[in-house]
Amino acid sequence: MVRLTLRDIFWSREILNEVACKDCVGQFAHWQAENHCQGCGRGGCTKGQELCDECRRWNQLYGWYLHHRGLYHYNLKMKEYMHRYKFAGDYRLRKVFQTEFSTHIQRVAADYVIPIPVTTVTWQTRGFNQVVGLLREVPYLPALKVKAREKVNQSSKTRQERLLTPQPFTLEMPERFKQKKILLVDDIYTTGRTLYHAADLFHQADCAWVKSISLAR
Amino acid sequence: MDISYYYGRQVLASRFAPVPAGIQVLPTIGVGLRNIRCNRCNQLTAREEAALPRNEFYCPHCINLGRVSTLNKFYHVPEPNQFAKNDQPTLTWHGKLSPLQAHASSIIAQRMASHEQQLLWAVTGAGKTEMMFAGIAAALQRGERVGIASPRVDVCLELFPRLRAAFANCDIALLHGRQELPYHYAQLTICTTHQLLRFYHAFDNLIIDEVDAFPYAANESLLYATNHAIKEDGGCLYLTATPGDTLLRAVKQHRLAVSYLPLRYHGYLLPPIKVQLAFWRQHLKHHQLPRICVQAMRASLAHQHRFLLFVPHVADLPLIYTAIQSYFPRHHFTTVHANDPDRLIKVQRMRDGKYDFLITTSILERGVTFPEIDVYVLGADEGVFTSSALVQIAGRAGRAQSRPTGNVILWVSSNCRQVHQAVQQVNYMNKKGQQIKNEMRIMQ
Repeated sequence: MVRLTLRDIFWSREILNEVACKDCVGQFAHWQAENHCQGCGRGGCTKGQELCDECRRWNQLYGWYLHHRGLYHYNLKMKEYMHRYKFAGDYRLRKVFQTEFSTHIQRVAADYVIPIPVTTVTWQTRGFNQVVGLLREVPYLPALKVKAREKVNQSSKTRQERLLTPQPFTLEMPERFKQKKILLVDDIYTTGRTLYHAADLFHQADCAWVKSISLAR
Repeated sequence: MDISYYYGRQVLASRFAPVPAGIQVLPTIGVGLRNIRCNRCNQLTAREEAALPRNEFYCPHCINLGRVSTLNKFYHVPEPNQFAKNDQPTLTWHGKLSPLQAHASSIIAQRMASHEQQLLWAVTGAGKTEMMFAGIAAALQRGERVGIASPRVDVCLELFPRLRAAFANCDIALLHGRQELPYHYAQLTICTTHQLLRFYHAFDNLIIDEVDAFPYAANESLLYATNHAIKEDGGCLYLTATPGDTLLRAVKQHRLAVSYLPLRYHGYLLPPIKVQLAFWRQHLKHHQLPRICVQAMRASLAHQHRFLLFVPHVADLPLIYTAIQSYFPRHHFTTVHANDPDRLIKVQRMRDGKYDFLITTSILERGVTFPEIDVYVLGADEGVFTSSALVQIAGRAGRAQSRPTGNVILWVSSNCRQVHQAVQQVNYMNKKGQQIKNEMRIMQ
């Protein structure tokens, strides 16, 4: 049930139905704002420390680090959600986080919102890009393409294998991103490998800055 | 993939894959102007809800069995009944049926031979499984493909070893959602009713055990699956102790042949249901139970009879537990519910006689047998107890030869239809049973 207020009645804004029940919503956990890493946004960093160990390693490797924010903990409930949404392919579930996630994306003053793409094989089996599914009325640019036969599911690999994955993406017309602000969007940030590959392409294209956001971290 | 994998089945494949030789392709989804219809579960879904990008659609209803979408096609090979003949005896069960059971068993076998739609209405604890053996054996000898399906996984798991013992020389496949083993083509298949959605005109004879159990009853897609899984000229046997309105209507309209077995295997009637008024929820606020309830339980324990106490909700369990603890501090008991991690252990300990009684939700309504027990239900008038659930619950009592009777009391705080129906069903079967007993006495 939607609880209507007078404002809903007299002010013509869209009325959104709750999609998930309270029990389920309560089991997803937000990241808290305090004490997080300046890079990947993971909480629990000791005070005064700017980057967590992982992000420091990325910083050494690339000479820059990615400013990333995840909305939710990748806990059991989120895992179950991702499983049903992505792997079982229940596209209706995109609506659970669509509004909240899109609001967060729109808060970032970026020139381009770039979703991480999926392979042609995924398009033939899953039938949707899970990242684009989470966007609601967000103008985005599908500038990244997956190289043919390059991208194996990150989720089917071990952590070590993930970190060794070669660049799976290509960037179409990189010159248009010169001095532009880029926001990358993905569903899950685990090791950061995928997003760093994508961000690397934009750094090479000489953009102003790249930030990234994911539903789960 | 071996071609026998597709015999009588609908197997999901990618639309983009080349079709192997000798395999039929069936469409997955019918797309209409407003709705789409899934060809596996036959459910309608609004286009908007079923939509994927790029004008593709999927069915959200049966997604747990693997998603059906317009990105898929079904592979199917018509059932060829290609089973190896062997000379070993088909039926390796050597138990004896009572005269009544034998009579019902031969009627079932006849109707199975002529591929009829039939219902066996047998009381709880009548020995239904053994009564189907003759019919199944004859069907297997005729080279037919036979399926046995139940809405409950536990029922399938319990049936499997019994059938493997009874048909030791026959290949039997067991299919259910929690199964890790891959599918294989077998002459006899035991599966949950959900798994039937994967079959298409496969079985010459299909048997559905516990038709009235959740979720089969009132689930249209499962009814559809049943009809789809049977060959066009195949037969179907429904087994139940508590036929619902749909089946009874079919019997009345002569669409379904029926055989009754109103006596239990030990030849006694069902224990009649007593209904008593008790405002237990008010008492529970003060951590008490009505005196009438406590007295009944105390009487059971005084006679060394163990019992099951059914309650409507999981949330009621802790309160009732503490209330009862104050009345029976020296007795051993515990609570059980569906999501209890120790559920199986607790049930086993009850079987072993380690508990004097169990307080449970309706999960123990069927499939479990404790000998010589009494049965009490608190709040039988609450919505969770359907009439068939109440008949099943009542059927937990008096199952042992050593104590073929037992107390069955439903405590209600208001009069209601499902309680009335349950009482009537038990009385109806007992009336039929009494008639048979009288006839047998005259014959002797």
